[in-house]
Amino acid sequence: MGKKYKKTGINRSIILNTAIILVFCILSAIVYFVSGKISTEMSESAISNLHESLDLIKGTIQAVFKKEAEFQKLIAKEIGSMENPYDFVRSYDTDNRNIKISIIPAGEATGISNTGESFSAGDLDFSAGNTVDGLPVSNSYVNEMGTWAYTMKCPVIKNNEETASLYVEYIFDSLEEALPGRFYNSSAVLYIMDTESERLVLKPKGIGERSAGHIDLQDFYRANNILEENIQSEVDNTIKNGHDIMFYHKIQEKDSLIYMWSVNDGSIYLIGYVPVEAIQKEGNTVNQYLLIVVFVMLAAFLLCCILYYLNKRQQNKSRKEQEAEREKHNKQLAEALKAAQIASSSKTTFLSNMSHDIRTPMNAILGFTTLLAKDVDNPAKVREYTAKITASGQHLLSLINDVLDVSKIESGKVMLTMGEFTLNNLISAVDAIIRPMARTKGQKFFVSVTGIRHERLIGDETRINQILINLLSNSVKYTPEGGHIWFRIIGLEKRSAQYEHIRIEVEDDGYGMDPEYLKIIFDAFTRAENSTTNKVQGTGLGMAITKNIVELMGGTIEVASEVDNGTLFTVDLELRIPDKKADEQFWKEHHISRILAADDSRDITEYIKTLMGETGVVVDTALSGEAALKLADDACRQGNGYDAILLDWKMPEMDGVATAKLLRGFIPENVPILFLTSYDWDELQEKIALPENTSFLSKPFFVSAFKEKLLEVYSKQMPKEKMSEPSDKSILEGKHFLVAEDNEINSEILAELLDIHGATCEIAENGQLALKRFCDSAQGEFDAILMDVQMPVMNGYEATRALRALNRKDAKTIPVIAMTANAFAEDVKDAKAAGMNEHIAKPLNMEIVEKILSKYL
Amino acid sequence: MEKIFKRILAVLLAGTVVVTAAACQEKEPVKNLVDNKKEEEKSVNLFTPMEKSNPSAKNIARTAHEITIAKAEETLNLKVDFTTYTATTYQEKTYDDVTLDRARNNMDDFYLLNPDAIQILGSEGLLADLSSLDCAANLREIVKTANTVDGKLVAIPQEVVAHGLFINKDMFDEYHLKLPETPEDFLECCRVFKENGIETPVGANRWWLESFVLAQGYAEMYNGDNTKAEIEALNSGEAKLSDYMRPGFEFLQELINKGYVDPQKAYTYEAIEGEGPDFLAQKTPIVMAYWGAANADTAYGKPDFNMQVIGFPSSLGQMPVVSMTGYGVGAEAEHKKDAMDVLDVILSDEMLKLYADNNKVISPSKNVEVDCIDALKPLNDKINEGVYVLGSNASMKVEQWGNICLIVRDLLNGSSVDECMASFDKLQEDSLN
Repeated sequence: MGKKYKKTGINRSIILNTAIILVFCILSAIVYFVSGKISTEMSESAISNLHESLDLIKGTIQAVFKKEAEFQKLIAKEIGSMENPYDFVRSYDTDNRNIKISIIPAGEATGISNTGESFSAGDLDFSAGNTVDGLPVSNSYVNEMGTWAYTMKCPVIKNNEETASLYVEYIFDSLEEALPGRFYNSSAVLYIMDTESERLVLKPKGIGERSAGHIDLQDFYRANNILEENIQSEVDNTIKNGHDIMFYHKIQEKDSLIYMWSVNDGSIYLIGYVPVEAIQKEGNTVNQYLLIVVFVMLAAFLLCCILYYLNKRQQNKSRKEQEAEREKHNKQLAEALKAAQIASSSKTTFLSNMSHDIRTPMNAILGFTTLLAKDVDNPAKVREYTAKITASGQHLLSLINDVLDVSKIESGKVMLTMGEFTLNNLISAVDAIIRPMARTKGQKFFVSVTGIRHERLIGDETRINQILINLLSNSVKYTPEGGHIWFRIIGLEKRSAQYEHIRIEVEDDGYGMDPEYLKIIFDAFTRAENSTTNKVQGTGLGMAITKNIVELMGGTIEVASEVDNGTLFTVDLELRIPDKKADEQFWKEHHISRILAADDSRDITEYIKTLMGETGVVVDTALSGEAALKLADDACRQGNGYDAILLDWKMPEMDGVATAKLLRGFIPENVPILFLTSYDWDELQEKIALPENTSFLSKPFFVSAFKEKLLEVYSKQMPKEKMSEPSDKSILEGKHFLVAEDNEINSEILAELLDIHGATCEIAENGQLALKRFCDSAQGEFDAILMDVQMPVMNGYEATRALRALNRKDAKTIPVIAMTANAFAEDVKDAKAAGMNEHIAKPLNMEIVEKILSKYL
Repeated sequence: MEKIFKRILAVLLAGTVVVTAAACQEKEPVKNLVDNKKEEEKSVNLFTPMEKSNPSAKNIARTAHEITIAKAEETLNLKVDFTTYTATTYQEKTYDDVTLDRARNNMDDFYLLNPDAIQILGSEGLLADLSSLDCAANLREIVKTANTVDGKLVAIPQEVVAHGLFINKDMFDEYHLKLPETPEDFLECCRVFKENGIETPVGANRWWLESFVLAQGYAEMYNGDNTKAEIEALNSGEAKLSDYMRPGFEFLQELINKGYVDPQKAYTYEAIEGEGPDFLAQKTPIVMAYWGAANADTAYGKPDFNMQVIGFPSSLGQMPVVSMTGYGVGAEAEHKKDAMDVLDVILSDEMLKLYADNNKVISPSKNVEVDCIDALKPLNDKINEGVYVLGSNASMKVEQWGNICLIVRDLLNGSSVDECMASFDKLQEDSLN
């Protein structure tokens, strides 16, 4: 079908192109024909015009000759009637330079002229036999005035006898007035040639101004390169016969028409030439315009063709696009169908899993509750069962949280809560969760940070935390006991000065995943199913949530995995760098201006130097214990000792502890020495007795962690009496709270929990009642208000707003803590917007409650 | 796309309609289409042997002379019309004859005059005094001397024409000949050439053989300390002109007698046209010509051999003969003032510089210098040293350039040296009356 269509398209295109070419050819032929026709007709017309012009000039000259002859005859007749004709001749006006009159009496050789000189006809040559109106005309000659002239001879008749001959000399210059001022706009050349001598006897001004060819016919030939013998011969013959001749010849590289026009039966000739372009000016102009019109029409035609083609092409393109779109659409539909089927299947599987996953802890909770009822008198059993019930409850809670998270993400309601955080806190928090998990499974957990230039960053710490926990907890889950987990944070090359480009790598040498599963790992409701991983509990939503959060942050997540070889997750994020500068104040306040950092890895010492760069503290580095000792010794000797010393726990030859002991020999006691270690220093601390004023600092190094550790060390240095006594008493003890809670069970649980911590509470069933109770209460009666959000009559937000608006001194200050199952970040935001101080998610964790309330009580 | 296509088509159609409608509009109401204003253009007439080229014609390399004329036309807002005449055979009236006729009949406003015509017309009082022109102040003394008649500066040249011998140096070298300094040297060179098969060692025409006569006759007069007195003596008849002319004529006679010059050819040959081809073909080692011929491609500008231009042999060594064709204005010319204005433009230092640079000739202005080609250096050196004879001198009563030329032709035509000397005696006698 496709081929057939394509073939038809090609055929149509060929036909169309052929038609266009044919139209072009026909049009060109017509233009050529019309142009040629016009050219020929205009040329003929131009030649005819030239012919007529030359005839006109010829006629004019002949008329002048005839007038001269008539004038001469009249004078001769007048003279014939005179008694003394010689006196008349002598008295003729000599001022008229155009005419010289002479008379020779019959039978004599000489006569007189009007100039007074004697005149002889011997110098005149009448041999050519030229006549004008019957009067003989002499050949042309240069007269006494130095100009070309001719003389006519007329008999003077008296009493029927010829008594004398009247000779009148005329100059050719006088003909100039009878000739046109310009001939073909001065582009034509015109001379008058005396036929007998072939001399050019008149070169009218404005006609025929040439630098050469002005002497005689031969000169004319030579100057105009008319050297062909046959042409010259034909011209000679034509002139001999007194006929006109006109022929084409190139003159000065231009096609020209050469003309030789017989005047007065060939006694003189008009000779010259005119460039063809000069006489065909109109024809050329017409042809030029015709060509312009044709060109414009062709251009228009071409434009139309181009537009047509473009249109056609666009249509084809649109059609193809539509087809492609349709195909894509179909494909998408198919994919969607498949996805729907998979989703349906996934959801079925999910529901099945959920059913299993929810029922399992529920089963545990209910089962242990039953057992608890049974063994209520056995405190050991009660503790065991409640612990298991709590664990199952926690698991159930995380299950619900994940499901809700996915639902939230899928509905696009997730918003990032941007805030400043330190990588140290982030890593510490993650480390605190993952390391115990790993330790439980006998896995080794490595954390490394490299190439990071800014420790403080802006981002949604909670969500990043969630990403890391998801990835790392997965690694822990899917790595067998004794396996390894690497958590790396790598600073990449910055793309912008305002953003830190970081890469998070989570690698393990666990079970790994097969390629098929890798394709759908980030889809919701999926979970790698195999005999090994089936042992692992999970909702299958973690990766989908992770990916969505990463993308929400504008980052990317990739995974590489091989079955039995482990998995590597790579997350790339760009996190904004806060504008404010590092807190230099801390270092000044604690008089820390110079520290020593010793580590056998140059990367680490350089990294410390980089991070400390913003603090203004000078960092000296050493790559071994010995070098550190030397530097510290030198510094002490110079009286410029270090204010703090960082030592790698494990260095070759002399480790951190040995170095610290030697250092203590000469550095002041109060200078803190911190051991950098990647090990679980809690364990180390238990095993090893650390010297005074020393402590551990976890790798990777962070300025904030360093600061905290320094504070910790300094606090230890403070006198014991200054330190507050640790107390086992709960912060809540003796406090009285107003609790707004519509759910009786919840209120009961809360009341009990508070009771356990020695606190009391009053329960209001909705916001309105809580508000009323507060209004009725005495100043300071309640230490804080614990407010549920979703309540009948008046919800928590409204109640808080109304409460804050009360005209009571403590209405503005009393802590209002949201206690709600609305546990999302947006809910926290809304709570704060309503005037609440804090937000605690249900189910309640009393440690958190205590911690939060401690800020306000 | 379809929309755009339709819109473009609509615009094209609308455009076509508008253009067609515009083309079909009515013509303007009837009015006289003829411009009856007469062209009132001032013009002056120049009589010259050269035709003026059409200023609008392309492919014509305009000469420096015409550029100066065009400049005058532009500056003065007038037109210079040319009237020309050129004789085609020796029987016809010469250019000088016609010039004299025309000047005597006051036919033109100004003329390009050969030295003899300057002398004749100046002495007849037919030429205006040009000493009042601004350009006259810049002229070299030699130019003023040669063109002053009866105390009036009657002509000013556009170039100083130096005549010399054009030598095929390669041929001289071939026969180990030194370039001739004296008439004897010259005869010796001719002998050697003749003996070596060069049929006619000297290529001559009917115009310029007189240079030998002038060089030998006047070498000592013009290069001595008594020039003015000697001229006075000639003008007064105290000294005989024939005495000055005789050595040169006898020398020419010897050249003819020994076959070094072909008198018949020399009598009929036009300048360069006749003898030029043989010289360029290296059949003739010696010709005579004017300075500009060495620069003109149409003359001896591109020889295939080493050409040198030297002075004519004389008792004082090589002697350039300097003559000048000059512009003279008719004393009674119809447009005398305009003609003089034209001369002031074309003979200004600026235009003379342009002319000299283009034609590589010696300028009459003392302010204009020009570099010359190598071939002309021997001649140029002599002139710069002040060694030369004048081919014409308007202050001499007997016109020199034309008369000597004509009498040389008599010699070529068979007259004896004595007969020629008698002609000079008669001329001198006529001039005294």
